[in-house]
Amino acid sequence: MTVLKTSMRNFFAHKGRMALSAVAVLLSVAFVCGTLVFTDTMNTTFDKLFAATSSDVTVSAKEASDTGETTSDTGKPPVIPAAALGTVRSAQGVKAAEGTVFSTSVTVVDADKDSLSPSSGAPTIVGSWNANDARTMKITSGAAPHGSGQVMVDEDTADKHHLRLGDEIAVISALGTHTAKISGIAAFQVTNPGAAIFYLDTPTAQRTLVGATDVFTNVNVTAAAGVSDAQLKKNVTAALGGDYKVQTAKETADANQKSVGDFLNVMKYAMLGFAGIAFLVGIFLIINTFSMLVAQRTREIGLMRAIGSSRKQVNRSVLVEALLLGVVGSVLGVGAGVGIAVGLMKLMGQMGMHLSTDDLTVAWSTPVLGLVLGVVVTVLAAYLPARRAGKVSPMAALRDAHAPADARAGLVRAVIGLVLTGAGGYALYVAANADKASDGSLWLGLGVVASLIGFVVIGPLLAGGVVRVLGAVLLRVFGPVGRMAERNALRNPRRTGATGAALMIGLALVACLSVVGSSMVASASDQLDKTVGTDFIIQSDSGQVITPQAVQAIKNTRGLERVTEYKTLDVNLTTPDGKVSKDETINAADPTYAKDLRTKTVAGDLADAYRPDSMSVFEGFAKDHGVKLGSTVSVAFKDGRTAKLTVRAITSDDVVIDKGAMYASIATAARYVPADRLPLDQLVFATAKEGQQDAAYTSLKSALHDYPQYTVRDQTDYKQALKDQIGQLLNLIYGLLALAIIVAVLGVVNTLALSVVERTREIGLMRAIGLSRRQLRRMIRLESVVIALFGALLGLGLGMGWGATAQQLLALEGLQVLDIPWPTIIGVFIGSAFVGLFAALIPAFRAGRMNILNAIATE
Amino acid sequence: MTSAVTIPRHGGSGGRTAVAARARQVVKAYGSGETRVVALDHVDVDIARGQFTAIMGPSGSGKSTLMHCLAGLDTVTSGQIYLDETEITGLKDKKLTQLRRDRVGFIFQAFNLLPTLNALENITLPMDIAGRKPDRAWLDRVVETVGLAGRLKHRPTQLSGGQQQRVAVARALAARPEIIFGDEPTGNLDSRAGAEVLGFLRRSVDELGQTIVIVTHDPVAASYADRVLYLADGRIVDEMFNPTAEQVLDRMKDFDARGRTS
Repeated sequence: MTVLKTSMRNFFAHKGRMALSAVAVLLSVAFVCGTLVFTDTMNTTFDKLFAATSSDVTVSAKEASDTGETTSDTGKPPVIPAAALGTVRSAQGVKAAEGTVFSTSVTVVDADKDSLSPSSGAPTIVGSWNANDARTMKITSGAAPHGSGQVMVDEDTADKHHLRLGDEIAVISALGTHTAKISGIAAFQVTNPGAAIFYLDTPTAQRTLVGATDVFTNVNVTAAAGVSDAQLKKNVTAALGGDYKVQTAKETADANQKSVGDFLNVMKYAMLGFAGIAFLVGIFLIINTFSMLVAQRTREIGLMRAIGSSRKQVNRSVLVEALLLGVVGSVLGVGAGVGIAVGLMKLMGQMGMHLSTDDLTVAWSTPVLGLVLGVVVTVLAAYLPARRAGKVSPMAALRDAHAPADARAGLVRAVIGLVLTGAGGYALYVAANADKASDGSLWLGLGVVASLIGFVVIGPLLAGGVVRVLGAVLLRVFGPVGRMAERNALRNPRRTGATGAALMIGLALVACLSVVGSSMVASASDQLDKTVGTDFIIQSDSGQVITPQAVQAIKNTRGLERVTEYKTLDVNLTTPDGKVSKDETINAADPTYAKDLRTKTVAGDLADAYRPDSMSVFEGFAKDHGVKLGSTVSVAFKDGRTAKLTVRAITSDDVVIDKGAMYASIATAARYVPADRLPLDQLVFATAKEGQQDAAYTSLKSALHDYPQYTVRDQTDYKQALKDQIGQLLNLIYGLLALAIIVAVLGVVNTLALSVVERTREIGLMRAIGLSRRQLRRMIRLESVVIALFGALLGLGLGMGWGATAQQLLALEGLQVLDIPWPTIIGVFIGSAFVGLFAALIPAFRAGRMNILNAIATE
Repeated sequence: MTSAVTIPRHGGSGGRTAVAARARQVVKAYGSGETRVVALDHVDVDIARGQFTAIMGPSGSGKSTLMHCLAGLDTVTSGQIYLDETEITGLKDKKLTQLRRDRVGFIFQAFNLLPTLNALENITLPMDIAGRKPDRAWLDRVVETVGLAGRLKHRPTQLSGGQQQRVAVARALAARPEIIFGDEPTGNLDSRAGAEVLGFLRRSVDELGQTIVIVTHDPVAASYADRVLYLADGRIVDEMFNPTAEQVLDRMKDFDARGRTS
C-alpha cells in the first residue's frame, strides 16, 4: 500500500516531468486507435453501401467478377441475353426482375472535355436508371433520364463540378462518345464514399455501353414475400441453368466487401507498422525519463532503502509510476485516436472521398488494444530504470545528491554493440552480394535489424566521438558557451545516446527509402535512355484501356512515322516440360515494338517473335521450363482458342521496363481470339518522323483533347511522371514517419527539459558569475543541436547503408544505378539542426527564466 | 598591508573612492499586508575598499539577503545600492549580468564549480563568458597563491571540499573584480580546510588589495575580517573592528541573551 502511495505522490509531484512521456504514449496509442477507428469506419461505410445497393439476387454473365463490377479490358462489360430476363421472371418466388446495364469502362466529360471522374481513384459508373437504384437514390432536382438525350448525375459529382440541369456532358466508351443533357440530379441515401455515377435510360445505356439493345449486364431480382434470398437464388439458378452467375445480396456485398477489405487491410497494417515505429521511438523517451527521474531521486531512494524499503519495493514503486503514466497516456491516446480518425475522414473528404461521422465505428477491441499496448510498452520501457533504482544503495542517502555518477557506457555494452553491428554489417554485405533476390532479402532484413540494434547499443559510445567531432566543427565558433554545450552533451553519454537513437530510427528509414526511391528513378531513367526508341507514350493514368476511336485519332496525327499498339492477354501456357503455367500474360504488340523498346535478348532476335505464330519468353521462364529457341509453347488464350506458338527469342531478365514480358504480335493473338473479345490497347507508342518531334507532340496532344482520360508523354514527361509517382509514395511514407520523428523530437525536448531541471544549481551558479540569459539559452540550444545532429548523422549513415545494400540486392531485379539523393540527405541533416533548435525553445526559455537565488539554493 | 603589493587595476579610471559598495535605506520585503515579512529594514552600509568585511547575525536576520542585494543577485523593495559609483538598483537583467561578470566575484557555500569543467576552466570561466583573455601572469599568481598549481587539470569531483573552495576563491580572484562576495564560504569545510580558505581570503586582501565581503555565522571566520557587521531583524545593530574570535563569540552571546529576554 505504501508503495502505491509513494508512487502516486511521486507521480503527481513530477507530473510536469512526465508530461512529455505521456504525450509520446498518447501519440502512439492515438495513431493505433485512429487507424483502427478509421478503417472500421470505412468498412462500415462500405458495408452499408453494399448492403443498400445490392438487390436480393443478381444475375450476371459467367465471366463477370463476383463483385458485379463491370470493368473489362475489351472496353465492353460482359453481358447476358435479354431473354434471360423472361426466364428469371417466370422462376418461382420472383416478385420482380429488371434488366440493367452498367459499365465502369467509361469516361465522362463535361462540355469543355474536362473529366468528371473522381480524382480519388473511386470508379466512374454509367448505367441504366432502375428500380433498385431508385430505392437508394433520391432525385433532388429535375427528373430521371428519359430518351437518348438525357442523363442523370449523382449530387456529389454535380456539386463538385458545378453541374446544373441542362448542362451537356458526354459519356466516352469503347463504342464511341454519347452526348446528353442533364435531366436530373439524385442524392444517395447512404454515404457514397466517392464514386461518380451517371444514369441513362435503359435503351440508351444498352446502346452506349454494350452496343446492343438485346442484352443486359445484370438482372436484379426481387424476392416475393416469404422467400429467402438463398431460396430465390436456388430457384433462379434452376430456371436459368448453369450458364450464369447468380448471387444473393449477401454474396455480392461480401465479395465487394472483400475487395475493399483487402485494400483497407493493406492500409491498416501499413499504418499500424508506422505506429509501431513510433512506439519504438517512444520507448527511448520513456527509458530516458525514468532514468533521469531515478537519478534525480537517488538520495531519496537511498533514504527509503536506509529506513527499510526492500529493493523489490523500490523497484515496484517505479514500475507503478510507469503504470500510472501508461494509463494516463493511453486513455488520452484512445480519445485522441477517435479525433485522428475524424481528422482522417475530413482529409479524405478533401480528396473526394466522402465519409460520414454517423458511421464512426469504435469497436470494443480498439480502446482495449490501445490501453493494453500503451500500458505494456510503458511499463516494459521503465523496467530497466526501475531495476537501476532498486540497486541504489542505502549509502546514497548520505552522499552528495548532486554528483550523480556519470553513467559510463561499459565494456559489456561495447562488446555487445560491436558484435551486433558487425553481424549486421556482415549480413548487409552478404545481402549486397547475394545471387538470388529471395536469399538476399532475408539477409537484408537481418542486417537492418542487427545493425539498428547494434547502433542503439553502441550509441552512447559513439556519442563521445561524434559529439566531439561535431563540437570541433560546429561549436568552436561559439567559444566557451559552445564548449560547455559540448561538455553537457557528453556528460551522460547514455542519455545522449538514447535521445539521439530515437531520432536515428526515423531518419534511418527516411534515408534508406530516399536512396532506394531515387535509385529506382535513376535506374528507370537510365533504362529509358538506353532502350526506348520511341518518342511518345500514350496511356490512361487510371489504368483504363484505350478505345479504338482514340487509337484512330493517334494514327491520324500528322508527323508520325509509326504507331505501335500494345495490349495484354491472359493465357495459360503449357511448356515442353509438360508443366502448365496458369494466369500468365502475353504482351501482344505490333512488330514495331521491337524498335520502340530495344529489349536485350539472350538468344534469337526479338523481331522474329512478332512473326506469325511466334513468341518470345524471358530468361527465367526459359530456364525454369527448359524452353529453347524453336520450342513450341501451347498458349491457351482466355476467351479464345489454344495456339501453338514457336519461341523465336529469349529476352534478358536484366531489364527494368517490361521485365518478365512474353511478346507476340497482335496479329498472332487475333487469329485465336475473336475480335469482340480481343482486349483494347493498354498503351500506344508513337514515334515522330525525324526532326518533327515538337510538331508531332503538339498535334498528338490536340488529337487526344477529346479524350481527357489519356495522357501523352514524351520521354522527359515520362521520366518526370515516374519521378513524381515515386516522389508521392515517398512523401506519403515520410508523412507517416513524421509521427516517429515527432516523438523523437519530443524525446530531445524531454531530455533537455529534465537536464535543465537536473542542472538547476549549475545554471544558477553560471548566471551568478555572469552568464547572460542569451548565453545560457544559446548553450542549451547548442546542446540540443548537437544531440539532434548526432542522431541525424547516425540515422542518415545507417539509412544510406541500408539503402545502398537494398539497391545492390535489387540490382538483380534491374535496379542497376545507385543514386544517393544528396539534396535530400543534406536537407534532412540541416533540418535536424533546426529540429534541435526548435526542441530547445522551451527548455532554454525556462532555464533563462530561472531565479538565480532559488536556483542556487535548490537541493 | 605590505608595500610590495600594488592595488589591482580596475575598469574605471582614477579617482577611486574609499568605498567599494554602498547601501542606502535599503528595504527588502516579501509578501504584502498581513503576511508581509521585512528582511532588510532601511539598511545603510558602506563597504570599505581593500578591506575584509564579515556580516554576521542569527538565522533570519537578513544577512544573506543583504549580501545578495549588494551583489546584484536580488532586487530591493526600496532604497539604493551602489557599486563604486554605479547605482545597481534598477538595472535591467542584462546590465546586472554584465556587472556580476566584470566587476563582482562570488564564492558560495557549496556547489561552486561546474562539474563538466576542470579546475583551470572553472577559474577562467567568468572571463571566458565575457570573451576576455585572462592575464596570464596574474592568473599564475592567483593559482600559486591558492596553492592549486598541481591540480589545474582535475575535475571538481576529483578534488577535496577544501580544494574545491580554493578553486572557487581563485575563480573569484582571477577576474580581478572590484569586490568579492562570499556566502558562508567555509560553511561546508572542516576547521582546517576552513582556516586554509580564510587564510587565502585574508592574504588576497593584504597582498592583492582585494575587497571582500562574506556572510558567516562562524566567529572564527569572522575573526579574519577587518570589520564585522551585526545584523538582527533586518537592521545593522553593531559593528566591530579587527576582532578576535573570542570577542566575536562574546558579542554574539550578548545578542543571543538579549534576543531571549526580549
